Amino acid sequence: MNNKSNNGFNTWQKSFEKETKKNFSDANSETDEGIEIKPVYTRDDLENFSFVENNSLPGQWPFTRGPKASMYTNRPWTIRQYAGFSTAEESNEFYKKNLESGQKGLSVAFDLPTHRGYDSDDDLVMGDVGKAGVAIDTVEDMKILFNNIPLDQMSVSMTMNGAVLPVLASFIVAGEEQGVDRSLLSGTIQNDILKEFMVRNTYIYPPEPSMKIVADIIEFTSKEMPKFNSISISGYHMQEAGADNVLELAYTLADGMEYVRAALSKDLDVDDFAPRLSFFFAIGTDFFMEIAKLRAARTLWAKIMKDFGAKNERSLILRTHCQTSGVSLTEKDPYNNIIRTSYEALSAILGGTQSLHTNSFDEAIALPTDESARIARNTQLILQNETGVTKTVDPLAGSYFVENLTEELSKKAWDIITEIEELGGMTKAVKAGIPKLKIEESATKKQAKVDSGSRVVVGVNKYKNPKEPSVDVRVIDNNRVRDDQIKKIQAIKESRDTIAVEKALANLTDAAKDETNLLAPCIEAIKLRATVGEVSKALEQVYGRHFAKSLSVSGVYGKHFEGDKDFMKVEKKVIDFENANGRRPRVLVVKIGQDGHDRGAKIVATSFADMGFDVDMGPLFQSPKDVAKDAIENDVHAIGVSTLAAGHKTLVPELMKALSNIDPKSKIIVFVGGIIPEQDYEFLYKNNVSAIFGPGSNIIECAEKVIDLISDNLSKE
Amino acid sequence: MELIENIQNGERAAIAKAITLVESSKDSDQQISRQLISELIKKPGKSIRIGFSGPPGVGKSTFIESFGSYLVTQNYKLGILAIDPSSQITGGSILGDKTRMVEISKNPNTFIRSTPSRGALGGISMGTREASIILDAAGYDFIFIETVGVGQSEIVASNLVDIFTLIVGPGSGDELQGIKKGITEYADIFIVNKNDGELKIEASKTAADYKSALSYYKKLDELEKQVLLVSAIEQTGMEEVIKTINQIVDQNKLKGIFEERRANQLEYWIEEEVKNIIASDITKRLSSTGNISKYSEKVMKNEMSMFEAVEKITKDTLK
Ligand code: B12
Ligand SMILES: Nc1nc2c(ncn2[C@@H]2O[C@H](COP(=O)(O)OP(=O)(O)O)[C@@H](O)[C@H]2O)c(=O)[nH]1
Ligand SMILES: [Mg+2]
Repeated sequence: MNNKSNNGFNTWQKSFEKETKKNFSDANSETDEGIEIKPVYTRDDLENFSFVENNSLPGQWPFTRGPKASMYTNRPWTIRQYAGFSTAEESNEFYKKNLESGQKGLSVAFDLPTHRGYDSDDDLVMGDVGKAGVAIDTVEDMKILFNNIPLDQMSVSMTMNGAVLPVLASFIVAGEEQGVDRSLLSGTIQNDILKEFMVRNTYIYPPEPSMKIVADIIEFTSKEMPKFNSISISGYHMQEAGADNVLELAYTLADGMEYVRAALSKDLDVDDFAPRLSFFFAIGTDFFMEIAKLRAARTLWAKIMKDFGAKNERSLILRTHCQTSGVSLTEKDPYNNIIRTSYEALSAILGGTQSLHTNSFDEAIALPTDESARIARNTQLILQNETGVTKTVDPLAGSYFVENLTEELSKKAWDIITEIEELGGMTKAVKAGIPKLKIEESATKKQAKVDSGSRVVVGVNKYKNPKEPSVDVRVIDNNRVRDDQIKKIQAIKESRDTIAVEKALANLTDAAKDETNLLAPCIEAIKLRATVGEVSKALEQVYGRHFAKSLSVSGVYGKHFEGDKDFMKVEKKVIDFENANGRRPRVLVVKIGQDGHDRGAKIVATSFADMGFDVDMGPLFQSPKDVAKDAIENDVHAIGVSTLAAGHKTLVPELMKALSNIDPKSKIIVFVGGIIPEQDYEFLYKNNVSAIFGPGSNIIECAEKVIDLISDNLSKE
Repeated sequence: MELIENIQNGERAAIAKAITLVESSKDSDQQISRQLISELIKKPGKSIRIGFSGPPGVGKSTFIESFGSYLVTQNYKLGILAIDPSSQITGGSILGDKTRMVEISKNPNTFIRSTPSRGALGGISMGTREASIILDAAGYDFIFIETVGVGQSEIVASNLVDIFTLIVGPGSGDELQGIKKGITEYADIFIVNKNDGELKIEASKTAADYKSALSYYKKLDELEKQVLLVSAIEQTGMEEVIKTINQIVDQNKLKGIFEERRANQLEYWIEEEVKNIIASDITKRLSSTGNISKYSEKVMKNEMSMFEAVEKITKDTLK
């Protein structure tokens, strides 16, 4: 039956055109993904599907409607809040409190030194210890982290990718020393290295050996840890880095295919490991799109695994964790974030997630406080207990719109997956840097939409709060944490059997030279109290450390502002500056320390260049000294430090020192962007920072201020 | 000038500021810059200048990182001038070379300066030659100049250096038809990069193609042009590169070619400067008289022929 040609539809269309004073044909809108959204959907929109099957049921092929038949009607999703900070002792306290208040599973956030395989006493990580996660140097720390938390009963998720071997080994040994056999451990290790090269940036080794390590872990867990998810194939970080939903979906599933192939190369049968592959997606503010994404993900994965020859039904099923979007949350008017997070959480639930993290309202300010974490957790408890959403499985099935969107997303993602497969798979694509660049392009477009006001963010570019509330922040004294960790490391190094440790590390290095599975020799070394850093270095001797070659998009931001008054005003200032000074304003944009959040830095760099600046882009993981050398050699007018992982109070003063060490008369001005709690502004200004640009800053306004400050500074000479 | 002393003492900030001066488009800066260069040029240092040219993406920066790391472990001091092609004509530019030179940029024995080319001829920016004089005075053993090689530009770039290297990628043998006799005169070394992984076979084939093409153009009294295979990423082939460079330098010095080239380059430089000054002078005169538009109108109205107009304007302008 054709709805469009019947009378009812024609009448509706006329009324629509009358009410909106628009032609029906002009009434569609376009999403970030390039999907056309119609003002109304009808039964006709359920036809000609090639992915979605109209009459499927939950827990049945193609699993669009959910991995299980009963879903939340039997057991609600797991409330699993991602957390970790400072020392193992403090994080352990925090975990126990949360579990008492209704949280069901644990999810460990490690600090950046641990992620990147450095011990807390390494000079390279001076500003980063315990700041953005918990510091783990040895198995002793891991044991403290789970003190009084029985590991045979608690499922533990660990976000670890770079230093995945020593950290998983520490977890296994901590369990054993708690009296729990590894076969009883349940939980998930993220172990998804491809997205690290794309967006998350806590890789250690080059792509090939890294992929080998992933496969080692899948092999080991499939044989020895039947209750443990060997990998969490993550799109979450891609969306947070700026990917739209199609990119997130396609790249995640394409990554998944690559991991399946890596595991198959270990002579495993696909059904030996596939049921233990798990996924992780972000849930942003586009309400229906996110619901459709989870449904599409399950649909496509079932098809993909069938093509891989999976026979066990459980191999076909995509199970996923979700997290509400952090990047949708704002520093300005932060209580709005509670509302945003609630809608996103609902979206994740309607999409059928297996577990969920909800963000705290102080997301764009610092790590959550006890209080903000409580509200975040309660958001889920209220959904589970008060709203009735658990009582019906996949309640949006049959919705003309949602089903159609599920099909559209599936199609678009499938096209990209096919393209990547033709290129030779995700590892190759990642090495060539294509996905990263596509995500950065998408991120830059989003920034342009917000800066131009064509996308409204309440409290940021519209409906601003004239009286910004001030909120409490969690403060971490990283020097104290670092001192504590160093003491612990020293004590362990004094009491352990040094010769045995050295032998175990040498064994590990040897094992890395051939195809041996590396987890067993790692467990040996960790048992003997080798540190995370030592184990990582033992492997680095064979594999080397990876340095990313970063590419940049260009012209994407500028294109959005063709003819824009404010944009042209800055362009003109740049030209005037060049005429007066013999060259353009030149700015070095840098990341210092282990902070791998590069979205903001990359966007600012490309946007400044589009406005006419000469922008030097530093690599990731520079030390303050490296930055000073780079800045002085290129005689830049200013350095823009983009810092999001809370290292600023250590690293910015170090940079100032390094600059004057090379050139005591240095005139280079320094400004800072990123996550800076208001409480730290004064400290930075006292350290001669010229300006601070927090989250939500309009880049055109930043650029104007920067050029004005540079001109002021030059005129002082 | 205090600046000169500081440069000669190898002070990083002084070197950097001097390069800013020579790159500046401001008249007053240009004047200081001329004085500066005249002084520095009196006491030449010992540096060998090497050009690395090639199409975008063949791995020039990566090669410099890799080759440079090898040189600095041998305690050489290394100055690098990277002319970044990413400049847009209207907008600014993103200078991303340093993200490909992570290791050497940390080394205290290096000085790395990126410069946007802004579409200048030959991918050489204004001031590259002067910048290399500054680095020479500051005591750098090697000066690397990274430029994008497209067409004409090799000639310009090769006129700045003692040894000119063309970096190419696997499979670029197809472009060999494009390599006319000219380029073999300018380039001393051909480096086929990306000789690794799946690209190995293609890289060897490309090297062979280059070798046979080059032997075809070889002049009797000339050194055989070297074709080298390297992988910048895997850091292989680097000893060969330095060996070849040293060989060519020694040979050229022995035969007087080294000095002869520098003399020719000086001549070329003087010629360029003179031409530049005349050209900008004439441009000024032309716009002040308004002759061009005046006479083209006459040509349009058929009052005189186009060649008569040209002759008239030329005479008028040069008088
Ligand atoms: C996106 C994001 C990620 C992405 C990063 C992707 C990427 N490649 O960048 C992913 C998911 C990978 C990620 C991971 C982690 N994250 Co995160 N992440 C965020 C998030 C949600 C948004 C940051 C962002 O990109 N915003 C969009 C960009 C455009 O904004 P921006 O960077 O702020 O830049 C703007 C301004 O600040 C300013 N600006 C910034 N820099 C500069 C520079 C110049 C020169 C100028 C002029 C202006 C300027 O202008 C920009 C335009 O408006 C923030 C929270 C938040 N809402 O801000 C947390 C946040 C930064 N992350 C956090 C943490 C802890 C982590 C992890 C360390 C967690 C862990 N333990 O594993 C990891 C590790 C990442 C790593 N390698 O460092 C914490 C840091 C805590 C703190 N500072 O105290 C935050 C604050 C969240 C929180 N409250 O817990 N994260
Ligand atoms: N396989 C391979 N890739 C390389 C090699 N050298 C450079 N590349 C890659 O080629 C791309 C361009 O390199 P870059 O040094 O920026 O090139 P440039 O534009 O010539 O300076 C980067 O993605 C490098 O990783 C190499 O030796 N082997
Ligand atoms: Mg380059």
